[in-house]
Amino acid sequence: MESGDPTAAEDRNLLEKAQAGDMAGFEALVERHRDHVYSLALRMTRSEADAAEVTQETFLSAYQHLAEFRGEAAFGSWVHRIAANHSLMRLRHSRVVKNAEEEIKGQPEFNERGSLAEYPESDWSRRADERVLDSELRRAIQQASDGLPESYRQVFLLKDLDDLSYEEIAEITGDSVPAIKSRLHRARLALRDAIDRFYNDG
Amino acid sequence: MFTCKDSIDQLLEFLDGEISADDEEHLHEHLSGCPPCVSFLKTYRATPNLARRALGETMPEDFARSLTAFLRERCKKK
Repeated sequence: MESGDPTAAEDRNLLEKAQAGDMAGFEALVERHRDHVYSLALRMTRSEADAAEVTQETFLSAYQHLAEFRGEAAFGSWVHRIAANHSLMRLRHSRVVKNAEEEIKGQPEFNERGSLAEYPESDWSRRADERVLDSELRRAIQQASDGLPESYRQVFLLKDLDDLSYEEIAEITGDSVPAIKSRLHRARLALRDAIDRFYNDG
Repeated sequence: MFTCKDSIDQLLEFLDGEISADDEEHLHEHLSGCPPCVSFLKTYRATPNLARRALGETMPEDFARSLTAFLRERCKKK
């Protein structure tokens, strides 16, 4: 499955040490995955302090369940799932009233014939491969993500940042796969629109 | 005949490889005559990768130090 992936091979090596009680092995795993966990938690909770706590809870939980981890999936995927659960738990605790289905902005507009009313003036798709990402573009994308209604933001982050499958997201959020796909699509449209505005209006 | 709206509605399933053969044929037909939708498809497809890169953070050093201290303290107590 991932036998050819040096990152996964190193993770397995460290995992074996950690499972044998070697704390240094576990700490090395934490160091390799903490930025990812922190990034997900930060964009989910939109709070640095909450993200730091979610990261702590995630790795503590991983440590406590280390013996149960059989290594069928990659360690990274397993930790990403734990991080997703803890991020969502944090959001649920902090939310006083669950919002009704909120409106999502940044959707394409069509004329009466169903044709695109506006379309990209420049095709910026190849810029996605550029080595260094413009700091203003980073900020525009972060703002667009933070501005998504919560149910859309969750799905978008779990899929596109955490790389979970639709089924895993359904398990964590309790939503149906079709509902998840619909929200993901609309969230990607909103992000695409924000990036498009950066390149075409900037 | 697919409109731009029909095409854009299908993009997620198309990129996931889960579109029906009929819809895929209609989509290709539409794209072959609609440069705006081709640009839209390319930029839509590039979005998740750009977003992933933009949203990736490095944990601030003081948080990373606290994390290590927290885990050393809590994991020891097991």
